[in-house]
Amino acid sequence: MQQKIHGKVYVVGDNVDTDQIIPAEFLSYNPADPKERRYFGRYAMSGVPAAQGGLPQGNVPFVRGETFASEFALIVAGRNFGCGSSREHAPLAIAEAGCRAVVAESYARIFYRNSVNGGYLAPLETARRLVDRFHTGDEIELDLAAGTLTNPTRGGTYDLQPLGDVAEIVAAGGIFNYARESGMLK
Amino acid sequence: MQAQTLYEKLWSSHVVHQEADGTALIYIDRHLVHEVTSPQAFEGLKLAGRTPWRISSIVATADHNTPTDHWDLGIQDPVSRQQVETLDANIREVGSLAYFPFKDERQGIVHVIGPENGATLPGMTVVCGDSHTSTHGAFGCLAHGIGTSEVEHVMATQCLLQKKSKTMLVRVDGQLGAGVTAKDVVLAIIGKIGTAGGTGYAMEFGGSAIRALSMEGRMTICNMAIEAGGKNGIIAPDAVTLDYVRQRANPGAPAFEAVESDADAEYARVWEFDAAELEPTVACPHSPDRRALARELGEVKLDRAYIGSCTGGKTTDFQAAAEVLVGKHVRIETFIVPATVEVDADLDRLTVAGKTLREIFTAAGCRIGPASCAACLGGPQDTFGRANEPLQVISTTNRNFPGRMGSKDAGVYLASPLTAAASALTGRITDPRDYYGGNKSVGAV
Repeated sequence: MQQKIHGKVYVVGDNVDTDQIIPAEFLSYNPADPKERRYFGRYAMSGVPAAQGGLPQGNVPFVRGETFASEFALIVAGRNFGCGSSREHAPLAIAEAGCRAVVAESYARIFYRNSVNGGYLAPLETARRLVDRFHTGDEIELDLAAGTLTNPTRGGTYDLQPLGDVAEIVAAGGIFNYARESGMLK
Repeated sequence: MQAQTLYEKLWSSHVVHQEADGTALIYIDRHLVHEVTSPQAFEGLKLAGRTPWRISSIVATADHNTPTDHWDLGIQDPVSRQQVETLDANIREVGSLAYFPFKDERQGIVHVIGPENGATLPGMTVVCGDSHTSTHGAFGCLAHGIGTSEVEHVMATQCLLQKKSKTMLVRVDGQLGAGVTAKDVVLAIIGKIGTAGGTGYAMEFGGSAIRALSMEGRMTICNMAIEAGGKNGIIAPDAVTLDYVRQRANPGAPAFEAVESDADAEYARVWEFDAAELEPTVACPHSPDRRALARELGEVKLDRAYIGSCTGGKTTDFQAAAEVLVGKHVRIETFIVPATVEVDADLDRLTVAGKTLREIFTAAGCRIGPASCAACLGGPQDTFGRANEPLQVISTTNRNFPGRMGSKDAGVYLASPLTAAASALTGRITDPRDYYGGNKSVGAV
């Protein structure tokens, strides 16, 4: 996992559930097949209603047209991000689109664990409601080691809550890598 | 010894190893497997050269991506067919305690086939790559949904790395009124505490109104604990539980243990509800916590009713709907989707007023599809009952987030089978007490 992320931010609201992150109609693709796995990137966040995608203006797709990658490097969200189903395809889809971190006010627990377990992305939390401050497209700088998110466009550096004991698992790239690195698994 | 909650007892009896910081390895007794969240796990297992730790813990079925109409044609969609065939091949190679493949007489939604087939027993830890695994908590199990990495982890080690949840008791005391069901109770609870009210908690449901529910009703309550953010919901086993389980226990099944919370156990959070105050309840679009009463929504015009899913597609749910629909005709298109092949067979076995449920639904103008998750989670465009247009739908399912049942512009109202059936008759959201004779046993749904 890279320690610094620079790039454009994509802003969404509260209760973005896993059906919005990756709609069930795309769950027949097999993530274990590299050719099919790319489609999770293409359809990442495609279930977010148009008006609520890319706040505050809305109507900004996370992945444009027929491409497989997002132009956005970070998602900023409100409360209870990733609620709903236990599909690990959700953090996988965001990561497959090229986005390796989310900063939200809070997460649903299964999504949080899936993000960490698969080593897909860093599920970062902030006490501040950044959804009302950041605009989709703002260039941001995320520093995982320092635990800060900076938005030079609008000014302001925000502290992120430490990832705590899951940091090592995210850094290792998931539970299996972590278990191997720490000697728990051969 | 300090008094313990049911959750704490289930937790302690399954700890394999505990770190100083409280992180623990928890032993998993039952692993339910389906086609959507398992292929990558089997692949990972294979790549690492591992075999499952305990094959006899695995019970598998195909439910999410099986055809939702025209089973006679087989699986037409090539990607879905590949996924179901991959599960067939993986189970053939790896093994399982039981596998109910596509078209098997015991196939169906994984959370209903578990209890139906005696695979869910009190005191077990139960996991599945599906968030509605909380359903099994109705049997006094510690049950929760997991992602695919954890599916692989359980196959490889029979354990999961977990942190203990905080404890919550949701107590519902008193008697539910006629026409008020388990679905109304859980929608009222979610409406009160919110979609993240249970986040970080193990939610135990208790009180005399919960005790008075059938097993199916209790399953409906625990099923939707996840919609309140709780990874699991639990109800202590009692005579009703043991009666259900003993009827379905398999020869040679492990002895099971029915434990309950100590009388003086303390919970981090307690919510109390008066059953007598609850009324037929609806969750408005687009969140399960947007609570309203059915009688307040009479102006809402509907295009469709949907009765199905692990939440509202069990035998007792269809019995309830039949009580309302018998001898009448629906005014909007109404879809009936049994949760399992067994439930489907019950439509022919069980009667209301001398007619089978299938006869009642057919005469009422409903469309009946084969057992599957179907349109509860949208699925491919041709899914039976999928809302491909911006329709207003009343549904006995569990989620109404944007796009859950298809179109992002569709509005889904979550309700009990009684309310969905009554609304199907009028084309508007309708309080079922106006259309329902008041059969108490159906009220226990």
